[in-house]
Amino acid sequence: MLSKRRAISKVPTRVSGLDEILEGGVPLGRTTLACGGPGSGKTVLGLEFLYNGAMNGEPGVFVTFEERAEAIRMNAHSMGWNLAAMEKSGKIAIVEARLSGDEVCAGEFDIQGLLTIVGGHVKKIKARRVVIDALDVLLRIYGDDHRERLELSRLHDWLIDRRLTSVLSVKAHNNGKNGSQYEFLEFMADCVIRLDHRVTGQLATRRLRVIKYRGSDFGTNEYPYIIGDRGIVLFPLTNVELTHQPLGSRVSSGLKGLDRMLDGGFRRASCILISGHSGTGKTTVASTFALAACRRKERVLFLNFEVSKEAMISAMRNAGIDLRSSARSRMLEIQTTLPESMGSDGHLMYAIETIDRFEPQHLILDAVSACLRMGSEQAAFDFLIRLISIVKERGITSILTNQVSGARGRDEGLSGIGFSSVVDAVVQLRFVENDREVNRQLLVVKSRGSAHSNRRQPFIITDQGIEFPDPSRPPSAPTRRAGRKDRAK
Amino acid sequence: MSKSRRTTRRVKTAPRGHYLLRLFTAGDGVNSQKALANIRSLCNQHLKDRYTIETIDVVKDFPAAIRNNILVTPTLILVTPRPTVMILGNLSDFPTVLTALRVVERKT
Repeated sequence: MLSKRRAISKVPTRVSGLDEILEGGVPLGRTTLACGGPGSGKTVLGLEFLYNGAMNGEPGVFVTFEERAEAIRMNAHSMGWNLAAMEKSGKIAIVEARLSGDEVCAGEFDIQGLLTIVGGHVKKIKARRVVIDALDVLLRIYGDDHRERLELSRLHDWLIDRRLTSVLSVKAHNNGKNGSQYEFLEFMADCVIRLDHRVTGQLATRRLRVIKYRGSDFGTNEYPYIIGDRGIVLFPLTNVELTHQPLGSRVSSGLKGLDRMLDGGFRRASCILISGHSGTGKTTVASTFALAACRRKERVLFLNFEVSKEAMISAMRNAGIDLRSSARSRMLEIQTTLPESMGSDGHLMYAIETIDRFEPQHLILDAVSACLRMGSEQAAFDFLIRLISIVKERGITSILTNQVSGARGRDEGLSGIGFSSVVDAVVQLRFVENDREVNRQLLVVKSRGSAHSNRRQPFIITDQGIEFPDPSRPPSAPTRRAGRKDRAK
Repeated sequence: MSKSRRTTRRVKTAPRGHYLLRLFTAGDGVNSQKALANIRSLCNQHLKDRYTIETIDVVKDFPAAIRNNILVTPTLILVTPRPTVMILGNLSDFPTVLTALRVVERKT
């Protein structure tokens, strides 16, 4: 079946993540329709497609029906794309095709004038790409559907005849109004991309979906995207297992005892989950790892969604883990944000920006459970799975803490938010009570690709850090009070 | 359309003046031919001996199309008397054209 299908030629858009979804790019010499509501990023998508082409030897013409050329230049400039320079060097031409609205209509007409203008520019700069922004504005001057379609067909044929790879953007509303013209456009175009800007749970999210792609396979999911500092960034969730690098070399957990239990330590570029009830010492275990890494001159990014940087440093000092000098020497960066402050896409972008800038070897996220406050379980899942995928691809070790609740903490902690398949190792912390006292235990539940101890190992948190008392000795060493100040209740 | 030369005296808009019309066509398309025939016939009826029609084929002169922002063809521009007016289409709707050109008063 597949072999019978003639593979069509594609043009990479070089929009981050989009070519993966389109399995290579937009169709060469054909038209692609990008439809979406106001503010969904249609213009940015078109600009990015055109700019990336121009930077890579494919000049292009940008036709704007709505915004002034100057506004387009400024819009591009905010993304770091210098259109004016590209115009000067003959790589990009902007055609401002704006009707003033004062025109009088008296009889039939067609868009030959527009085609002539665009054609002139295409010839002049030897353009291979054309972006027509806000095509819906042009359609407004036609009174009836029939003529509208005629003119759309004319435009479409004109572009195809010249083998121009084009992206047409159309403002589409979700209310179903004006359906006919868009239906026709969707029928006409070879590839249709829908951009959606929606608000769920008070948080704005953007989703992109490819509706059709004549003669090609494509990713059929809805993909979250953001409009960042440098254009559109999509997060296609490709096959996680296939794209990941194999687990790296051993890296110490910072605790000799735990390293022994793990048969030598954690693995670099793996994802480690530390789960347990409130106060069991998850942040302490993670911070112990961070401090040891910083002392080896490895950079650690600590994403804290629970408490302020000061509160965290002070709490860890009480447990004998002094992170101050690591933070001062910039080996440790603690980034604290409220989960509610933005949507999961925003959190992801913020984290990626920090990772790009700081280039950490290790990432700690405290805590998975707090990510639920980004809006919904789905939002938290999106954020975590994409973040983990990205850091794994870059060979960064990730340690996630997860606070479990309820009596059967173990199971919930494991399945947690439903991303256990990307987790390579699980360390479970718990309280064990008897008549006289409460003690902590640590268990390595899972350690992918490695042997690990199956023992429940008692541990204590002293003012010198975590210690494993000799199991032959009664566990009576002074333990810190269960439930640290910052985690009271 | 009427962004410049607003200062031109209103008297010039009176129907007595000389009409300079510029018709933008695209090759010898049907609508372009109709538009030329229509505007000639209109002018002969209403503006005898006091009109000039310039025709510009945008296919041959694309810089002119850019200069005048000609997106659709045919397009007729009333250059003088001021203010300028842009009329789109093959000009088959005579009453609309005449009103737009201020040759006849709009009936209200």
